[in-house]
Amino acid sequence: MSKPSDLIQGTLDLLILNTISLQPQHGWAIAKRIQQISNEILQVSQGALYPALHRLEQQGWIKADWRVTEGGRDAKFYTLTRAGRIQLQRERVQWERLSSAVGLVIRMGASV
Amino acid sequence: MKRLFDIFVLRLRTLFGRARAERELDREISFHLDQQVQENIAHGMSPDEARAAAKRGLGGVTQIQEECRDMRRTNHVETIWSDLRYAVRNLRRTPGFTVIIVLTLALSIGANSAIFSVIQGVLLKPLPYPQPDRLARIYFNSDTQPKFPLNPNDFRDFRERNRTFESMAAITRHDLQLSGTGGEPMMLRGFSVTAGYFHMLGLSLARGRDFSTDDELPERGRLAILSDRLWRSRFAADQNILGRTITLNTETYTVVGVMPPGAQHPGNNFQAVADGDTVDLWTPYSLYQMPNDRGSHFMDTIGRLKSGITHEDAHADLTAILEQLKKEHTGKGWRVYTIPLYREMVGRSQRMLLVLLGAVGLLLLIACVNAANLLLARASARVREIAVRSALGAARGRIIRQLLTESLVIALAGAALGTLLAVAGVRVLVAFLPAGFPRASEIRLDSTVFAFTLVVAILTGLLFGLVPALTASRTDLQQSLRESGRSATGTGRQFQLRNFLVIGETGLASVLLIAAGLMLHSFVNLLRADPGFQPQQVLTASLSLPYQRYREVPKRVQFYQQLIANLEALPGVQYAGAGTDLPWTGYDGNADGFKVEGRSDAYNQKTSARYHVATAGYFRALEIPLLNGRFFDGREDANGPFVIIVNESMANRYWPGENALGKRISFRSSPQEKDWMQIVGVVRDVKDQPDSTTIRPAFWMPHAQQPERNLFIAMRSSTDPVLLANQFRLAVRELDPELAVADLRLMNQIAGAALSGQRFALFLVGLFALLALALATFGMYGVISYSVNQRMHEFGLRMALGARPSDLLRLILSQGLTLSIAGAAIGLICAAGLTRLLGALLYGVKATDPITFAAVALLALATTTIACYLPARRAASADPMHSLRSE
Repeated sequence: MSKPSDLIQGTLDLLILNTISLQPQHGWAIAKRIQQISNEILQVSQGALYPALHRLEQQGWIKADWRVTEGGRDAKFYTLTRAGRIQLQRERVQWERLSSAVGLVIRMGASV
Repeated sequence: MKRLFDIFVLRLRTLFGRARAERELDREISFHLDQQVQENIAHGMSPDEARAAAKRGLGGVTQIQEECRDMRRTNHVETIWSDLRYAVRNLRRTPGFTVIIVLTLALSIGANSAIFSVIQGVLLKPLPYPQPDRLARIYFNSDTQPKFPLNPNDFRDFRERNRTFESMAAITRHDLQLSGTGGEPMMLRGFSVTAGYFHMLGLSLARGRDFSTDDELPERGRLAILSDRLWRSRFAADQNILGRTITLNTETYTVVGVMPPGAQHPGNNFQAVADGDTVDLWTPYSLYQMPNDRGSHFMDTIGRLKSGITHEDAHADLTAILEQLKKEHTGKGWRVYTIPLYREMVGRSQRMLLVLLGAVGLLLLIACVNAANLLLARASARVREIAVRSALGAARGRIIRQLLTESLVIALAGAALGTLLAVAGVRVLVAFLPAGFPRASEIRLDSTVFAFTLVVAILTGLLFGLVPALTASRTDLQQSLRESGRSATGTGRQFQLRNFLVIGETGLASVLLIAAGLMLHSFVNLLRADPGFQPQQVLTASLSLPYQRYREVPKRVQFYQQLIANLEALPGVQYAGAGTDLPWTGYDGNADGFKVEGRSDAYNQKTSARYHVATAGYFRALEIPLLNGRFFDGREDANGPFVIIVNESMANRYWPGENALGKRISFRSSPQEKDWMQIVGVVRDVKDQPDSTTIRPAFWMPHAQQPERNLFIAMRSSTDPVLLANQFRLAVRELDPELAVADLRLMNQIAGAALSGQRFALFLVGLFALLALALATFGMYGVISYSVNQRMHEFGLRMALGARPSDLLRLILSQGLTLSIAGAAIGLICAAGLTRLLGALLYGVKATDPITFAAVALLALATTTIACYLPARRAASADPMHSLRSE
């Protein structure tokens, strides 16, 4: 069982929350959208996606329910909860701080 | 908040709907797979290719499922469940161990629950009145009187002038004789109460009305409020009882109210009646019957404070009023004494209950230590099992959790069994509570007690489980695995720990034994103390002549004289007499500020003595010895000269070094010659209660000169006094067929009841101490016997090298004695500090009584020796050949 590092795990949470903040999505679509929007740079492995979804659900950030897709199939759709929206906001702020901090460090290293 | 609720529901669902969650996960993943396959086909793959590629992309399905399961976080609940099953299975594998440990815990947890239920009912439950903390008892006190009832006129002034009480009421004992309802005349326990008494307490009547201030007028006083019990038993629950007239003390009273069932009397001090559902009826007190009397004190007073007023405020308020009263009337040295009703009711029993709680708590602690000891022994037998488990990857925390689960299962089983014991125990406890114990009717096993038991059980389980669990989980894996299963042993550390536990257990048991020993010593002192009278062979009863028919004084005197003469004429009756009270019944009639002839006014202001009335035969019937002078001779004249008999303490207090005979006292402030009462006899001291530390001065006036209507009768019999009861009833009926006989008791019973508090406490503490001793002995046996088993091989070698069996015997015994001496020493030191808390439960023995301490130390050593003897014998029988062969 490989566990993603904290950074990556946190990042995946942020990506998922952000993706479904616009509209409810099922797992496959979430992975697909992250891939598309990031210009195929971010590949979400299914092995990480589903445990992450279940964890977020257990924490109450997202809710799941079964709906019918456009293709007429049953799929489990995930919706952001109110608490999840607040959490997303918090994670965004954190990500900004983190990425700008990492950026600072890297740039300093480049100038040496 | 909503989120927490959602999470809770979700977790419950995942916990109980595991199968469904799994199914949903399967569907979710297969949906994902299908989507991927379709996409792959859209990109031009063949269907087979597309499916294979999608599966590759997904990775291990099982792994995903497993991780999702982890994420659902219900795992620890599931492990608890498996821990539980494992624990139960394990415990069932060693039934002897389990039964012993559960039984000892059940005994001590059950004892704790039973004692706690008494504490809960008596001390913790609020009083059965609304806003009980606003109720206060109001007394006077002085240098000579710690707690004195109020005078009715003082009470009226307090009630009118105070600014701190919402309402105030006073009650005084007023038993009445009910007749004319069919059946024998019956003595009813009654109280005269002032207006609004029930309203002040916050009790409402089932029907009818409370007394009003109009009812306090003398011409309105023939009213009665009945208890539910009386209404049902004597009036067949008559629905039209209100307005009905009944005959009390041969006079006509009108019923104006009925109380609901279980109306609670708050207890009273003067001519005390125990609290609870103890009163039969209430009549209004006429506040105006003695307008100029400020000297008689008999009103037990209770007030309800206005909201926001403290007891201190109220005290200051009443004190200011009393100062005014002293200016308006000639007041004596009275002060106001107020006390919250709760403290007044439970104060006397508090100490004893806390001592019992302490004792039973110690017992539980000992049981915990004992359980820990047994678990340690078991853990060393399980070293291999634990080693194997950790070798297979169990984390240390996991193993500790498993072991703690086991001890919790044990503790909860003990608690369940203990609760059953407590159910029976509480019934026994209540049945054996000392006479007049406050709030006894409120004692029961209720939800609070069950909650207490549960908490105690969990704490107990953690307490005795933690040390063994921590120790066991620290086992050296390699060593334990390398050793063969045959001789898996505990480490030296573990053994040392067990020694400490045994020392602690012995110490705790010694503390309890010393407490029990001191109480036993006190009780023996009480039994051996000279009571000053002879309670054997005496039958007693009380009579109360109705005022209406015995208004004329000579009729009263004549009645009692004739009755006693008739009684003494009965075969088997040696002496008969009557008096205002019997020894040890809590009588508290007092005379303060009487004049001693030839003394200064300042001296006379501080005089105080118990005030009694008696007939000639009273002292002979009770065998109170005459020390000097004579008893009454029955020829005393109602018009004087007045005579009295005093006790030894009175003679010594007021005429030290002189002969008290012929000395005189008077109640008048400026007595004339005829007002003096002359001492004709001095009798032996009788204490108020068997455990009173001081004896109050007391005097008796002859009944002919102080013709009370209500007297106790005492008859000394040469045969079984019980046989006199019927003849006594007949003798009374012969003189007055409408007179009720009440309180028929043997003087022996009264004396026994006076000691019931001490007997009760002694019995319980003694019981707990014996249990503690048994547990400690058992613990000692366990440790020594285990160590002998471990060392049999060594003992065999010693024998082979020339040791004699007696050497081994001595070796083991000295090992045990070392432990118990250490334990007893610690116990004695702790006890020296703790026994002071026994306080008033001790009588005639110091809290650090050396005899008791030494006896307990010896007892501890003796039982240890016995506990060690069997293992020592086993050691002495070690077989040298066996050891040599296995070497």
